[in-house]
Amino acid sequence: MSGILMRASNVTAVYAADSGQDVPAVDNVTVEVPEGQILGLAGESGCGKTTLGNALAMIANPPLYVIAGKMEIDDHEIDLGTLSGGANQLHRPYRGATVSLLPQGAMNAISPTLRIRDLVVDVMRAHDRNTTKADALDRATDRLKMLEMPVRVLDQYAHQLSGGMKQRMVTVISTLLNPALLIADEPTSALDVSSQKALIEMLLAMVEKRIMRGVIFITHDLPVLSMVTDRLAIMYAGKIVEAGPTEELVNNARHPYTSALLSSVLDPTEETRTKHVLGIPGSPPNLGNPPTGCRFHPRCAFAMPECSLKEPQFLHERDHSVACWWANDHAFETVPMEVNEA
Amino acid sequence: MGLRRYLASKTVWYLGALVVAVILNFLLPRLIPGNPVDVIVSSLGQGGASSEAQQRVYEQFMKEFGLDQPMWNQFVTYLTSILHGNLGKSFAFYPTPVSDLIAQSLPWTLALQLPAIIIGWIVGNVLGAVAAYKGGGWDKSVFTTSLVFSSMPYYCLSIILLYVLAVELGWFPPGGAYSLGNSPEWSWAFFTDALQYWWLPFLSLLLINIGGQAVGMRSMAIYELGSDYVNYSRSLGIGDAKMTRYIFNNAMLPQITGLALSIGTMVGGALITELVFNYPGMGTLLFNAISSNDYPVVQAVTLIITVAVLVANYAVEILYGFIDPRIRASKSGEK
Amino acid sequence: MTNISSSAVSAEQEGPLVPETPQAPGPKARPAWRSLNFGPRMWVSLGMILAIAVLAFIGPLLYPYAPDQKVGGLYDAPSPEHILGTDNFGYDVLAVLMASTRNSLINGLLAGTLATLIGVLIGVVAGYIGGWLEEALMGITNIVLAIPAIVILILISMSLQSTDIPFLKGIVGLALVIGITSWPWTARAVRAQASSVATREHIDVAKLSGARTGGILVFDVLPYLASYIVMAWVLQLASAILAESTLSMLGLGPSGTNSLGMQLHWALAFQAVAVGAYWAFLPPTIVLTLISFALLYLQSSLDEVFNPRLRRGKKKNLARAAARRAEAARKLAEQIEGRQEVTA
Repeated sequence: MSGILMRASNVTAVYAADSGQDVPAVDNVTVEVPEGQILGLAGESGCGKTTLGNALAMIANPPLYVIAGKMEIDDHEIDLGTLSGGANQLHRPYRGATVSLLPQGAMNAISPTLRIRDLVVDVMRAHDRNTTKADALDRATDRLKMLEMPVRVLDQYAHQLSGGMKQRMVTVISTLLNPALLIADEPTSALDVSSQKALIEMLLAMVEKRIMRGVIFITHDLPVLSMVTDRLAIMYAGKIVEAGPTEELVNNARHPYTSALLSSVLDPTEETRTKHVLGIPGSPPNLGNPPTGCRFHPRCAFAMPECSLKEPQFLHERDHSVACWWANDHAFETVPMEVNEA
Repeated sequence: MGLRRYLASKTVWYLGALVVAVILNFLLPRLIPGNPVDVIVSSLGQGGASSEAQQRVYEQFMKEFGLDQPMWNQFVTYLTSILHGNLGKSFAFYPTPVSDLIAQSLPWTLALQLPAIIIGWIVGNVLGAVAAYKGGGWDKSVFTTSLVFSSMPYYCLSIILLYVLAVELGWFPPGGAYSLGNSPEWSWAFFTDALQYWWLPFLSLLLINIGGQAVGMRSMAIYELGSDYVNYSRSLGIGDAKMTRYIFNNAMLPQITGLALSIGTMVGGALITELVFNYPGMGTLLFNAISSNDYPVVQAVTLIITVAVLVANYAVEILYGFIDPRIRASKSGEK
Repeated sequence: MTNISSSAVSAEQEGPLVPETPQAPGPKARPAWRSLNFGPRMWVSLGMILAIAVLAFIGPLLYPYAPDQKVGGLYDAPSPEHILGTDNFGYDVLAVLMASTRNSLINGLLAGTLATLIGVLIGVVAGYIGGWLEEALMGITNIVLAIPAIVILILISMSLQSTDIPFLKGIVGLALVIGITSWPWTARAVRAQASSVATREHIDVAKLSGARTGGILVFDVLPYLASYIVMAWVLQLASAILAESTLSMLGLGPSGTNSLGMQLHWALAFQAVAVGAYWAFLPPTIVLTLISFALLYLQSSLDEVFNPRLRRGKKKNLARAAARRAEAARKLAEQIEGRQEVTA
């Protein structure tokens, strides 16, 4: 494994609720992306994965506030906090150029009264005032040709494009400035299967061509993740509970939540026919008032008395980390899947 | 639905509305017991005219206005004459043609309303967009002020401004459109004189328009601010000024409709302001016509108000048909 | 009404037209109406309306002068006996103001309610039943909507002025005229809402269970439109009161009675502004402005209650939350300083 491209530490983000109370959505999370790799970020809806993505893309906007967090990327050290008034101006130069976002629901990501070419020019100019229109368009044209996409798209409005084409176009715009890191937030979930495939192939080709040097791929679609990613991080209730190489995590899950998440997915392999699909009992906790100790303990089949008392610290086994009391007691053991059935 | 069918259906609907409006305009004043001439002649009687003279006037008016004809004939006559631009003759200023009276009044109304609507629209939209974007104290003060102005009856502001700025402070002349002894003419001297009288009614209409537009734009822009493209543009590092432009462009489309519609209500939208300021426009003409039972003038004024509104609405719908195929598709479902 | 359909209503009492406000993540769930979060703006506007109603309905009982009692000369200035002076007829301005406000409110209530009733009836029937009936009703609505209401009002009122029926010339007659000319936009708006409700599942359940159309309309459709209808009604009240005063100022007001518009009409006719008799024209101007402002403010705060998206955080809460957040950030920073890093 080569060096670390991005390391974000102690990221904490809260939503301001209407009542005036803050709900922590990301709680002191530290995450790394190795150079040239794709990190998958998975978890149930509401676990904070999109919020973490927004914090890292530096686009947190009220009612979301990033109250702490530091990101080291390339030679930059960026304070991710958005509490101070100047945070927006501080973050702006990094957005799109250093860290870029491929948003959830790209359907409406482009202003309906804007031609694609206008957006391209605006993006280039936002980072270099002196860019001429022709330069910006040349660059976009080259990029489209390189990715074997039709150049005429530039002259169109968003509503003239199909869903898949729109999503790929948004991907091209997001990566136009060769950002170090691309955060792809559920980029495939609104697409049909063939468009999903086309988009994923394009993303892989972009990584291959070193257009970006790392990707965080956020989705709850585990089959896609296991296909695309090099590493996986599993989030539960605002915290990362387990992280490691994808293959390792899929075959040797160390956290009961990871195991339960994986077993709730149908994998089209030989054994699938004979397997039971196991759901996860209960529902995700209320983040305004999370369970004590390990946040997963009320739903966990392996919960022990200490789980509800003390928060587990990360246990590092080679490049596989897990925060779980059971895993602490059972070094290097895979969580036995079938136990859930009892 | 194709563009052609859309245009055709809109045209049919608006023609229908126009026909109904013309019929109502014709019919409603004739629904009263007796007829308008009775009213005007009896008021002559109160004025002390001899019954012989009354009778003569009565017969002349009945003949002149065709009121001795059957209703159906009257309607055909009415229709033919308005199609020829002939709005009849005034009762009160007989035999002055109504169109002459309109021609004297309409320019004054337009001179007040057109700039008030257009400038109010521009300033209001900018204020509303900035308020929505900046939020906080800016938003609070702009929104509250705009809400006060936009929800205030427009003539109430006129009365207050007239009293405070003209009567008490004496900054402006208290009513009228030009100095006594002057008469309307195309000269620089008259223009500067009239301008002094123009400011106050203009200002009172302008403030109301700014308020209304700012409130509308603010809520449009707040809606746009929450949209995906704003978030995405932010994630690309696009600056605030550019983003405000995107929001503005998108929030603008409905606002342009608003502009066209308020230009349509131009003639009928400031009637009372003119009364308050004693400004010789359509409002004052209408008021005087009502108080002297001058039916031909009232009917002409209401007809012009209606036609202006219908034309503006129609123009907006047609424009939309050309601008945006999506709107055409979605709107055609709604009659 | 059958059991099935009525339980369908109670199960979804909130109704999607009243989008749920984000529930505060507290341990205790609050009753539904508490989560509607009536803001301070709502209370301000309700307070203003209440104050005006007291002036209109309770004031005359306590005030010693009648509105048709000649107590002085032309525009007597305010004095201890007549705190708002006298008007052009020598009547006590405050007495006239109270009677005018009362009549204007009655006119608004009658006309606004009538317009809302007609509009809701046409809108719900057209939206729910659809088909040719909808085409016909909406055709009429759109035509009437295209013709400016003020024009019809002027023409009808002018005819009524020359009749000899006092009822039609009075405040009730005027309210009827305003009511039957201003329903179209309510009808159009309600139709759109009703036709979206008509496609919901609970309506199918009600139909399948054999409920009659009338019953479905009243028990399964109307409850979902309630918030919408209330807002439309508030707007109709305001516009009816303003329509009355516009007509009155044009000289087409209710003859022989008081109304805010008539009071202004007389003040303007007798040059109150030019001679500086502010007590004669400012009171009705201010009351009209207050009524109009209070009703529109009420409508916009209702809108925020029903559509939380328009709402922006309460200032007090925002400031408190911001302070707490800054504190949390400081603590976190301290923690991070003094602790070994946890890495994923």
